[in-house]
Amino acid sequence: MIRRVAFNLFAWGIVLAVAFPLFWMLVTSVKPQFELFRRPPTFLPETWTLEHYIRLIQDTPFLTYFKNSIILSTATTLVVVAISTLGAYSLVRFKYRGRESLAFLVLFTYLLPSVVLIIPLYLMLVSMGLSNTIFSLVIAYTTFALPYALWLLRSFMAGIPEDLESAALVDGASRMGAFVDVILPQLLPGIISTALFTFILSWNEYLYALVLVNSDSARPLTTGVMNMLVSSFNIEWSLLMAASVMMSVPLIIVFAFLQSYLTRGFGAGGVKG
Amino acid sequence: MQASQTVLERRYAALGLLLIAPTVLVFCAVIVYPLVSAIYLSLFSIFTPTLQGEWVGLDNYRTLLAKDEFWSSLVNNLIWTVGTLTLQILLGVGMALVLHQNIWFRSLARSLILFPYFISTVVAVLVWKWLFNDLYGILNHLMLAVGMIDMPVDYLGTMPNAMISVILVGAWKFFPFVVIAVLARLQTIPDALYEAARIDGAGPIARFFDVTLPQLRDVLVVIIMLRAIWDFKEFDMIYLLTGGGPITSTQTLPLLVYKEAFALNQMGMAAAYAVVMMLIMLVFMIVYIRRTRQEADT
Amino acid sequence: MAAVNFDKVVKSFGAFTAVHGLDLAIDEGEFVSLLGPSGCGKTTTLRMLAGLEFPTSGEISIGDRVVNDLAPGERDIAMVFQSYALYPHMTVAQNIAYPLKKRGVPKSERGAMVQKTAELLQLTELLSRKPRQLSGGQQQRVALGRALVRDPKVFLLDEPLSNLDAKLRGYMRVELVELHRRLGRTMVYVTHDQLEAMTMSDRIAVMEGGRLQQFAPPTEVYRAPANRFVAGFIGTPAMNLIDGEIRQSGGTWQFHAPGLTLDCPPLLDSARPGPACLGIRPEGVVFGSGPIEGVVQVVEQTGHENIVVARIGADMRLTGRVGAERVWQAGETVRCGIDIDRAHIFAAGAAGERLNRPGLRPVEAPAVIKAAR
Repeated sequence: MIRRVAFNLFAWGIVLAVAFPLFWMLVTSVKPQFELFRRPPTFLPETWTLEHYIRLIQDTPFLTYFKNSIILSTATTLVVVAISTLGAYSLVRFKYRGRESLAFLVLFTYLLPSVVLIIPLYLMLVSMGLSNTIFSLVIAYTTFALPYALWLLRSFMAGIPEDLESAALVDGASRMGAFVDVILPQLLPGIISTALFTFILSWNEYLYALVLVNSDSARPLTTGVMNMLVSSFNIEWSLLMAASVMMSVPLIIVFAFLQSYLTRGFGAGGVKG
Repeated sequence: MQASQTVLERRYAALGLLLIAPTVLVFCAVIVYPLVSAIYLSLFSIFTPTLQGEWVGLDNYRTLLAKDEFWSSLVNNLIWTVGTLTLQILLGVGMALVLHQNIWFRSLARSLILFPYFISTVVAVLVWKWLFNDLYGILNHLMLAVGMIDMPVDYLGTMPNAMISVILVGAWKFFPFVVIAVLARLQTIPDALYEAARIDGAGPIARFFDVTLPQLRDVLVVIIMLRAIWDFKEFDMIYLLTGGGPITSTQTLPLLVYKEAFALNQMGMAAAYAVVMMLIMLVFMIVYIRRTRQEADT
Repeated sequence: MAAVNFDKVVKSFGAFTAVHGLDLAIDEGEFVSLLGPSGCGKTTTLRMLAGLEFPTSGEISIGDRVVNDLAPGERDIAMVFQSYALYPHMTVAQNIAYPLKKRGVPKSERGAMVQKTAELLQLTELLSRKPRQLSGGQQQRVALGRALVRDPKVFLLDEPLSNLDAKLRGYMRVELVELHRRLGRTMVYVTHDQLEAMTMSDRIAVMEGGRLQQFAPPTEVYRAPANRFVAGFIGTPAMNLIDGEIRQSGGTWQFHAPGLTLDCPPLLDSARPGPACLGIRPEGVVFGSGPIEGVVQVVEQTGHENIVVARIGADMRLTGRVGAERVWQAGETVRCGIDIDRAHIFAAGAAGERLNRPGLRPVEAPAVIKAAR
């Protein structure tokens, strides 16, 4: 019994240590400015305040960044999931020459570093007159999101029994009919999980946003918030922590409600490859 | 063979190609074309603001191989990769073993552990910069309080502190990946194996080495390869924490590519760095892809 | 005209050929089993008939139509899969109605048709359930219902009973035979279980290595196997196969094996002296008297009879099916003989052709078959 309690305390000790930076982020964001520089620091705020959140929304372009991020991530997710669902169906259930090499290419690009593609992409998007637009980021984000989604959906697709599709064909459906009637409903959990991962990936992306966009009107949260750190004369940590919390809120929502989809996606794509 | 294909077979093949067509088009436009032009660009000397280029052949490559900065960045890259990867694996496997036990509020503990992996690197860096803050950071304060140090430490501004800090934050951010992967595998180890080992008189430590570890071997190899690839190409974390500094002591190859292209405005040279970096990574990638294909075959 | 016809059908997967030039003509209303060990090409054959695999060469026709270029849905067939392949997101009623829906049957008529099929298969209570809420036997009946709801030319069944427990399997065998009798439709049934094939089929197509070995009614497959493979594959316990050689002396043929010389049954004119194989079913082995001396090794008591395995000489074994009245002990010396009227002679080799004339003397069918009929 004592050993059990000790083990539990030990385990939770580590868990809390790992989670501490996030706790500290939350605490800092609700401390008034004067309390921030108290020594020794207060563990829990003596005075709770939402002033930083209010300031964040009223005095900074945070909401614009937030809106940009939402548009950007949603657009990327929609485009990528639509293309890759069809692509994965083709890769798993059709036979034609070059199919194997294509699957290999997908895996290869899934591992490709962004910095290799960023220079030509930058040149390409500049020459197309697309730099400083959200659209240019959607294009850039497909470079990592599409191989990722394809790889994930491919393993989900392979998990659907082939007999189901065969049965639908015998029952009189065309290939696309069987896809809509039988495969899509079965693939839905996989699609949701893939969409969530793609959304998170796009939401968190930094490098392409840094290179391709340098106007506040098109800037997403990652570079936007980072800009607030660099550009302000003296760093307002509470404000930054409030921004960090706000930035993580969509992820927390995704996380809390759809944890089972996330772990499923992990099993399918992350590790099994 | 080709001639004897039935009409139906050809119709299906055509549909298959139609379905993959959007993927292929996007792939060619945003991945294959840029990849090829990256290699092509590396043969030019290009000034970024004007984008005027001049053919220099393999000069860029000759220059970079003779440059100390390239070699020191490569060394930094390896130190960072090996360091953070080792910590991720040790922490990840350890944490997975702990979370596999029936502890209180296990699913809450799992969620808390996973969280660092899902938040943006930007958030992670901001939080850690605040923790690391020399005057008001909680880390310095706690360490002073328990007497581990008598002066506030400059975590990111001096060496070797900067490298250690980057490696630690990297481990914190990415070890949950290892936890989930290992945890998933642990759950599939049949209890019968442990019972058999217990009957054979194996203690907890012997059971770990004789049962758990061999069962984890395959998944660990995959995790290590994947994480090695991802850690090697990591840009955001290091760039945001130290920017490669102090001076260039934590500058890895991805940072070098970025600096060359967008700070020093040498696009051609940057492309050459990127290509060399990709060639180095190709070794890992081919090993990983081969393994995945083998698994698919069996 | 044949209901289903395979004309020189070949199927290759890359370098591997799964089906070698198959010729098979199935009559209207017939129940035909494709029987063989796994990997013999039987499932590939069925899937080609369904339009789920494509022949590399040759022609497949259903009725008077060549179907090579037709999609599965255009072939007027229904199929029951080994995995049942029920659509998990649809209710039982929706599953059964799906083929109707895809063929444009108006919604108003579908309900009645589904209801009728459900009654036939005792599924009425389950119509609003999802497949995962059903037992294996119930799922199997739904799969059957999805096939029966239409009135297709040919029913294809791919090992439909293999996922059921033994008791239910026996029950469903009878049900399927009954169903076939009532519908009078052509059914093609793939199985690796010879008991299923023997008890249900009008004719059995025995396949091995992608080749058709014999296509004949069950009794003929049992009593006059076309070659050594069929002889060894059909029947439990398996036919005794003794390697030796045939010699001709005077006008008579004799079979020689170490420690064994027998007069042959009447051989075909094409028989030539040389290596050959003698086959004798366990019920053709006589224990208690005869020219051969052996030692009893194993006795399996099944209640109404005994299966006795005796060792003859150094490395030959003889399995016999004997009455339960006499109890045999392992180690006991026994005299045994072979009823030459029931013996078969095959050419040497794993698929050696049969060399004797088919034994036309009526032979009692084995007990298992009688019981299930």
